[in-house]
Amino acid sequence: MNKLKGYIKNINSSQNLSIVEIDLNGIDICSIVVETPETASYLKTGNQVFVLFKETEVSIGKNVQGLISLRNQIPCKVTKIEKGKILSKIDLECKEHRIVSIITTSSVERLNLSIGDEVTAFIKSNEVSLMEI
Amino acid sequence: MIELNLKKLLNIENKDQTLDIDIKIKTREFITLFGKSGAGKTTILKMIAGLVQPDEGFIKVNGQLWFDKEKNINLPPQKRKVGFVFQDYALFPNMTVEQNIKFGMEKEDKNFLKELLEITELYDIKDRKPVTLSGGQRQRVALARAVARKPDILLLDEPLSALDFEIRQKLQEKLKEIHNRFDLTTVLVSHDFSEIFKLSNRVFVLENGKITRSGKPEDVFVQERLSGKVKFSGEILGIKKDDVVCIVSVLIGGNIIKVIATQEEAKSLSVGDKVVIASKAFNPFILKID
Amino acid sequence: MDNDFLTTLLLTFKLAFITTFILLLIGIPLAYFLAYSRFRFKPFIETIVSMPLVLPPTVLGFYFLVFLGTESMIGKFLEQFGIKLVFTFEGLVVGSVLYSLPFMVHPLQSGFQSVPKSLIEASYTLGKSKLETLMKVILPNIKPSILTGIVLAFAHTIGEFGVVLMIGGSIPGETRVASIAIYEEVEALNYDKAGDYALILLIITFLILLVVYTVNKKILKIEDL
Repeated sequence: MNKLKGYIKNINSSQNLSIVEIDLNGIDICSIVVETPETASYLKTGNQVFVLFKETEVSIGKNVQGLISLRNQIPCKVTKIEKGKILSKIDLECKEHRIVSIITTSSVERLNLSIGDEVTAFIKSNEVSLMEI
Repeated sequence: MIELNLKKLLNIENKDQTLDIDIKIKTREFITLFGKSGAGKTTILKMIAGLVQPDEGFIKVNGQLWFDKEKNINLPPQKRKVGFVFQDYALFPNMTVEQNIKFGMEKEDKNFLKELLEITELYDIKDRKPVTLSGGQRQRVALARAVARKPDILLLDEPLSALDFEIRQKLQEKLKEIHNRFDLTTVLVSHDFSEIFKLSNRVFVLENGKITRSGKPEDVFVQERLSGKVKFSGEILGIKKDDVVCIVSVLIGGNIIKVIATQEEAKSLSVGDKVVIASKAFNPFILKID
Repeated sequence: MDNDFLTTLLLTFKLAFITTFILLLIGIPLAYFLAYSRFRFKPFIETIVSMPLVLPPTVLGFYFLVFLGTESMIGKFLEQFGIKLVFTFEGLVVGSVLYSLPFMVHPLQSGFQSVPKSLIEASYTLGKSKLETLMKVILPNIKPSILTGIVLAFAHTIGEFGVVLMIGGSIPGETRVASIAIYEEVEALNYDKAGDYALILLIITFLILLVVYTVNKKILKIEDL
């Protein structure tokens, strides 16, 4: 589980859903939650929250160009690669945050990932959860 | 309104520990006492019933003092209107189901007896003796017997812990039904999270003789407020390393599910841990059962 | 069968029945007390109750004479009411009760202790007093123990010799019970007569026990249904 601390920058709600923008000290992450400021007391601009997303929900892109629907596109550097038979664990660094990604080993090889590479971490907003501090 | 202010010196596993609690229970509430084995939960129930005497404090039930150390008041269990369901059911072997249930009635109320037998589905076996009954049937007799007295408080000491999962589910429903039907105030001692979440309005967590947490089950047990809308509480059955991840088997209700975790995460987990499994509403599939 | 023979036998069984009945009345409260109370002198009382198990019967008989005989304080006090405890049937009853006490109390005490505490607690929480609980919950559930107590006390009383001899003498129709009679007949070399006594005692006690155990089995079977 990736758990990063930031504060709520902006909340945009419909009747039951909200898009919450969180500022992780320079990086922006976006989360869609089935909550509104009326149903969840911690949804207030300025509040500190934890941002959670599973490692298996972090996709990696190298030399990416073009439009992608994924809202969260975070530029990172590869700091560690642990290769398994089918899956691999990639440690990424962005500013002072550490993000872990789990992708297929074949993708690691296809992207020719190595330590030091500049890549983009992709996370869909509906895969990002919030936790009250 | 039930006010419990109890202090008692206990000897748990050869260590002296003081039980010191001060709680108020509202009429018609269903509350659970939660804590490790031997923490003193059964002793608290027995103090309410008058089977064990506190060292200090008072017990006030609907304005009536059942116990007050300073005023030297100590009503014997016979004079307190409690219904007690023991962990081993404590059915009288020499009496039939019907006789067991009637035992606590001050005046035989045929209609109420029939109602009880029907609501606990014991009518057909009312002339059988306890030794011929299954665990689930015995538990229902114990429950009916405790309720027959129309008690002010119903005390349940881990009543369902010896039963298997399906019977437990059914009996949890029955407990809720009886609690509501007869306007009871109930104190349950339980370890079972699903039971606690299903039945209680409030939980009191007993640790080292004191109430450390209290509140609604979802507030007490899920430590942090998580936005994920799909949440279950369960117990870790196994952790298996596979490739660069770990597969964690979790028992949720009667189902075993598998969840992927990183090896780092798994380091802080062990078999037997009580956990909350959470996911987002966006995530799960919905598949209809034909 | 001559009159003498019949009288002796009747006396023997009369003593056993009365003793057993009295022991039941005394034994239940005593066993209840020993099973359920906790106090400092309990081991002391338990020892006293158990003494007749190991004490030589003649010792018991001797002290009976010393403390309850005609020369003793108690003996003199009782004589005012016309009660004599030496060389009388009444004396035999008192002696037998003392001598067979542990045979009634121990099974009862065991029985009481085997009742799960939760049953008793349940009865209290259902509004029943200690006495009601004893009568309606505890006793009905220790029938085998009660039966054992009765059988042991009865059989033990029939077999008494030493105590009876010391405090009873051997007065025909009053204190000459079968066990004494057999002894005397053997001493007088009337082996036939002795044999008659012995055989009858054997058969009757066997039958009593048989009936008792059969009934016990039936009780347990009925309760299983």
